Amino acid sequence: MRVYSMNTRSPKASPALRMTPGRVRLVLLALALLFLALIGRALYLQVAQQDFLQNQGEARFRRALVLEANRGVITDRNGEPLAISSPVQTIWASPASMEPVPPAKLRELARLLELGPAELDAKLSDRKREFVYLKRQISPELADKVMALGIPGIAKQQEFRRFYPAGESMAQLIGFTGVDGRGQEGLELAREKMLAGKNGRRVVLKDRRGHIIEDVAAIEYPKDGQTLNLAIDQRIQYLAYRELAAAVEVNKAKAGSIVVLDGKSGELLALANVPSFNPNSRKELDPERRRNRAVIDMFEPGSTMKPFPIAMALNAGKVNPNMVFDTNPYSIGPARVRDSHPKPAMTLTEVIQKSSNVGASKVALLFSPEQMWTFYDEVGFGRSVHAGFPGEIAGRLRHWQSWRPIEQATMSFGYGVSVSLLQLARAYTIFTNNGSLLPVSLTRLSSPLPAKPIISPDAARQMREMLMTVTQAGGTGTRAQVLGYNVGGKSGTARKLVNGGYQADKHRGLFIGFAPATNPRLIVAVMIDEPGAGSYYGGSVAGPAFSNTMAGALRIMGVEPDAPSNNSLLPVNQVPEIREDT
Amino acid sequence: MIGNSARRYAPITPFDEALGWAIALLLSISLVMVYSASIAYAEADAATQNRYFYLIRHMIFMGIGLTGAYAVFQFPTAFWQKYAGKVFIIGVVLLVLVLIPGIGRVVNGARRWIGLFVINLQPSEVMKLATVLYVADYTVRKSHKLHSLKEGFAPVFGAMVVVAFLLLREPDFGALMVVMSIAMGLLFLGGINMRIFTGLAAMAVVAVATLIITSPYRLKRVLGFLDPWDDPYGKGYQLSHSLIAFGRGEWFGVGLGGSVEKLFYLPEAHTDFIMAVIAEEFGFAGLLVVLGLYAWIVRRAFHIGVESKKLERYYQALVAQGIGIWLGIQTFFNIGVNMGLLPTKGLTLPLMSFGGSAMLLNMAALAILLRVDWENRRIMRGYKV
Repeated sequence: MRVYSMNTRSPKASPALRMTPGRVRLVLLALALLFLALIGRALYLQVAQQDFLQNQGEARFRRALVLEANRGVITDRNGEPLAISSPVQTIWASPASMEPVPPAKLRELARLLELGPAELDAKLSDRKREFVYLKRQISPELADKVMALGIPGIAKQQEFRRFYPAGESMAQLIGFTGVDGRGQEGLELAREKMLAGKNGRRVVLKDRRGHIIEDVAAIEYPKDGQTLNLAIDQRIQYLAYRELAAAVEVNKAKAGSIVVLDGKSGELLALANVPSFNPNSRKELDPERRRNRAVIDMFEPGSTMKPFPIAMALNAGKVNPNMVFDTNPYSIGPARVRDSHPKPAMTLTEVIQKSSNVGASKVALLFSPEQMWTFYDEVGFGRSVHAGFPGEIAGRLRHWQSWRPIEQATMSFGYGVSVSLLQLARAYTIFTNNGSLLPVSLTRLSSPLPAKPIISPDAARQMREMLMTVTQAGGTGTRAQVLGYNVGGKSGTARKLVNGGYQADKHRGLFIGFAPATNPRLIVAVMIDEPGAGSYYGGSVAGPAFSNTMAGALRIMGVEPDAPSNNSLLPVNQVPEIREDT
Repeated sequence: MIGNSARRYAPITPFDEALGWAIALLLSISLVMVYSASIAYAEADAATQNRYFYLIRHMIFMGIGLTGAYAVFQFPTAFWQKYAGKVFIIGVVLLVLVLIPGIGRVVNGARRWIGLFVINLQPSEVMKLATVLYVADYTVRKSHKLHSLKEGFAPVFGAMVVVAFLLLREPDFGALMVVMSIAMGLLFLGGINMRIFTGLAAMAVVAVATLIITSPYRLKRVLGFLDPWDDPYGKGYQLSHSLIAFGRGEWFGVGLGGSVEKLFYLPEAHTDFIMAVIAEEFGFAGLLVVLGLYAWIVRRAFHIGVESKKLERYYQALVAQGIGIWLGIQTFFNIGVNMGLLPTKGLTLPLMSFGGSAMLLNMAALAILLRVDWENRRIMRGYKV
């Protein structure tokens, strides 16, 4: 065998190949070095850089998922749903993992989601973003169509949307949730913690198309929100709303509120406001419609206040129902107290029945300002009801030390003191609950909450009897009568205070009452704001709504009539309208 | 001396069994890994909707490759020497044909495939084998003139320039690199004058640099490779995911089937980037095994070459070592690309990646290598070839 050396350079000395072992070794060595470079690089990547690379990987695959807790249902006292969550889909995109998409598909996507093409482009423009909402809360059917386009990087996610079967009839009471599912107004806001529950968490690896590969941490399961069982009776609520809306419309009023309380337990059976809005569409942003007037608006209650000074006097034994008062107009300092239909003298019962300012003020003036303030304070005026609504107001009851004598007189017929309708209705529980003030409960109670004794049961009974005369012939509230039941109540008509002056043409008409008057079960309070169709007296603008709501509610609650035979309603056209002054 | 070495190396078996086992092992790993890497794509793709889609095709390709290899093995190596020039011309014609629209099919911006019923033929793969056969023959024929620039070097240089020009028209930069490595390696082994070789090497470096800088498409790839983390969602997307796969693999891997990268993150997981999936699922250990098998094949190829030379079978010696260079350099390029050592080229991992033409031609080359060895052993035992 011939041996060639690398130094053999002679042109003629190489008849055959110069495949010298040296050159072969050189080539093999070169290849070996290349392979060694691969091994070195592999060690660098797989050992030295593993943390960095794995972190980069996790940033791409690892996702923390929120396991949404189901929001609690809000129901009425009978379990009828008032706010429920239904599943909807939200479409989101990960621009970072999107590949170039045919323009036709993007146009179709924009069309399905009702987005402008420019709007869609803007959302997808930042290619570093991993998450951007395209459209929230769409129907599952539409979401399926979007997913059928098969655009990589577009995904759907289940969310829940709140649905309110009662619609506008109790919109302000229940409130609504925002697009993020959190309560924004009403009870949805007030009871957020209880309703929301606690979201769970799951950490997973996902493939690029969004499928979950595996869990990489223990799953924290969600805790669903609790059911909120309200005291509200949906049937009474709907009835009350309908009657209120009718009254507001017939009287061409600006607004109105109605409250129905259980006079024995303090449970709130209905609460409605007009104008209202549809909480399911969420397009109504008018704050006038969203305001829960019955709870957060305060106003001067007018004559509906008169029963309180009189109850105080009865309880103190200073007066009795048949005591006769001089009801001629009189003066306190420069101010004069008078009635619109003056009579020289009235019994205490007539003072209530005819709603005499002179009589009521004279009863009030039997007490010192401090005594009167204390009594008003005890029945809850100037204090929040603490029912649990957002924005509940305390009303306004100035401290007695700042009272002038005329103010003590006007406060007896509801001027100079401001209350909310709920507060006022609650104060009437001292008449229905044998002299004890009940707390207002939004939730259904299995047993009544402790009541606070204010007046004696006997004084309460005497008040009920006097208040019954208001709806009987000669009273100011005959339109509040209910067939088969004795009704006690009080009308009120208050001029509105605008910019520091009382307006002659702007009023609030009120009627608050209870039935059956001999053993009251329900309290209904109606307030009509700025009636504009002629009559503005509380008995005529609020009385019919009161009567219809009370009649329906009593039947719904199955309350036995207390006057089946001797109560005969006067035909409306024969009912003389007795107009109270305040 | 021949007698001595014949006795010393007297083979018991008629062919190189160890080489055969290494090939069989790589093919087996290939079956498992192509299936593992393609399963998610195959299942999710509306066109395939069958998790076995790529596995079945891969098995068919392998079957065709084995049949082809068996057929190729029947041809004496003298046949290839005799027709080396014609094979080269066929290769060139195919490279021309693929450039004609209507015949050549464009995939991902490169015109690299000729549709032939079931298999898409990739002429650049044919060209790799043709280069081995032709340059080996050329080197043997012109062995006494290899010191001369004009007579020894110029003709083969001219032929390679034509090939280079055609490959760049596709473009197939990766195949060009492999073909050039084979040609230069064979000329070097064949004893080309060191000055010519050095000049050629310098020229090649300049040419490659020029090609990269003048083409936006190649420049983009190079920039993406230098720092994939600069733009991991754009230019560096594929490489960053490949690197993540290596990092996740650590020493022993996440286990067969455990790769996350193959779940739509890493493009070309079952073809050019299959090594990343192997590295993720079997870690550094898996990479070492696979790399070791390739090293073994390269080593055997060079050894068979040395044996042939001892038997004064110079053409066979060069063919064997040319095949060794081919497989070695392409393995290096492919894995180097996977690990970010080299810019992305579009080269398969021999015997491992999914792909019909590459599989067929790799098998044919190995059949020729085995044939060289088989003939060597017969001669050593005193038979005729």
